Amino acid sequence: MELLILNGLVNGLIVGGIYALVGVSLTLLYGVLRVVNFAHGEFVIAGSFLAFVLFTSFGIPPLLAVPIAAVVFFIAGWGLYYVLIPRLARSDDPELMSFLMFYGVSIAAAALMLLLFEADSRTIDYTFTPVSVQVGPIYVSTARLVAFAITVVVSIALALFLFKTLPGKALRAAIMNPEAIQIMGVDIVRLSAFAFALASALAGVTGVLIALVFPAFNPFSGAEYTIIAFIVVVLGGLGNPVGALLAGVLFGLAEQMATVFLPQAMAQIVGFLILVGTIFFRPSGILGVRFKR
Amino acid sequence: MADAVLELDRVDVAYHGDIRILRGLSLKVRPGVITGVIGPNGAGKSTALRALYGLLKPVAGDVLIDGRKVTGLPPWKFIDNGIALVPQQRSLFNELSVEDNLRLACWSFRRDRARIEEALERAYAQFPMLRDKRRDLAGSMSGGQQRFLELGRALALRPRVLLLDEPTAMIAPRISAEIYEFIHGLPGQGITVLLVDQNVRQCVRISDHLYVLELGQNKVDGSARAFQEDAGLRDLIAEWVDYRIDA
Repeated sequence: MELLILNGLVNGLIVGGIYALVGVSLTLLYGVLRVVNFAHGEFVIAGSFLAFVLFTSFGIPPLLAVPIAAVVFFIAGWGLYYVLIPRLARSDDPELMSFLMFYGVSIAAAALMLLLFEADSRTIDYTFTPVSVQVGPIYVSTARLVAFAITVVVSIALALFLFKTLPGKALRAAIMNPEAIQIMGVDIVRLSAFAFALASALAGVTGVLIALVFPAFNPFSGAEYTIIAFIVVVLGGLGNPVGALLAGVLFGLAEQMATVFLPQAMAQIVGFLILVGTIFFRPSGILGVRFKR
Repeated sequence: MADAVLELDRVDVAYHGDIRILRGLSLKVRPGVITGVIGPNGAGKSTALRALYGLLKPVAGDVLIDGRKVTGLPPWKFIDNGIALVPQQRSLFNELSVEDNLRLACWSFRRDRARIEEALERAYAQFPMLRDKRRDLAGSMSGGQQRFLELGRALALRPRVLLLDEPTAMIAPRISAEIYEFIHGLPGQGITVLLVDQNVRQCVRISDHLYVLELGQNKVDGSARAFQEDAGLRDLIAEWVDYRIDA
């Protein structure tokens, strides 16, 4: 039993790290742009497919796919911003219309991946040597440990960027007070494009990690990650990057620990119960909000 | 030189397509003096200011800087033109430190360290209290202190024009008086001021030129002295019953 619990903890941390990244990119996007990206899961899975193509067609290992995905998705996100968002800005209610638009993007992206990769589940047939590593009394797959290490590095880098650099502080400032940041002389259009690109890059990298951690993915896996991303964003507090990181880990741990004690099917219900509980008792997220705007 | 550093020329502003807030409003910010804008609630004072600063796009008419048409210029371009704004709603970043709030104002020259230090020093010199609190979160300060930070931040960039929207709303009376004295002294430092205010008495006292808005239009436009001596106008103010004349 202790081994099972320990297993649950370790896997919870690993899976939670992935959830944290899925959530933090969505929350940045919502915080700065006030758009609800329903296609976030598809962005993530597109990252998995990028790693898949890089490996099967060019023999590039997943570790190298991480920086490639970051760059490719950053550029794609930057371009996509200028295609999608100016149209939203002309609407009377951009936040509501963003639901509809990104729902459309989500369907289109899934269909595009279906066209390119067909409906079969895919795995990346790459193995690290050794295949698993002993952590205390249990064995964990090397791929999962590598993915976890990357998650930690990416999270720390993101936190340093957001809290220690002026552009990072400008992003957070835009979340806190979107009008005031413009009065400071910050071009909100460029800053938003950057936020969209950064969130896309994070989503792409997360996709590569998902290909390492989970057994398989297919063009329809995106919806699942969109839901997880939303749960994590709400748990962490809308537009709160640190909250999202913590909430992702918490959610992953809860889900994995639930599988230890409950039937597999119940695990996801536990996640939703946490979500409902948070909305009821701490609607501003697990960290709460310190100041009113 | 143009007779106005900043100007609205027959501007219409509408919300949701058909609700007109401003109707053919013309307004000039004259260089080197304080221009006051007063009027009852809903007269369009704040709307006029937001239109001046590019935060609202006019459906008709023009915005001019130094006589140049700049209609549609986005708000982040104004600071480069030497025009700073302290809006009515709090414009601070609550979860950033006082110093980071000041540093963000230096965004357009963020790689010029010497200039940033100079700007910080200027803000601290205006309001020494900010230096002591520079590591505190902006949101942890009192309302008055937050207002001083907003003023210090706007002045740190050495603007030639400062736009103020109800600078003493929800501020304790003693500090209000201090803020009005401070604003009164700005033209002496070479700073042109546009003051939009509900506090008619103070606004009339320190302004050189006054606009009275009603229903999105100019009701009166004249020197503050003429305004003070005009009994008809005094009666008009008395009509604005829900209105704070004292403070």
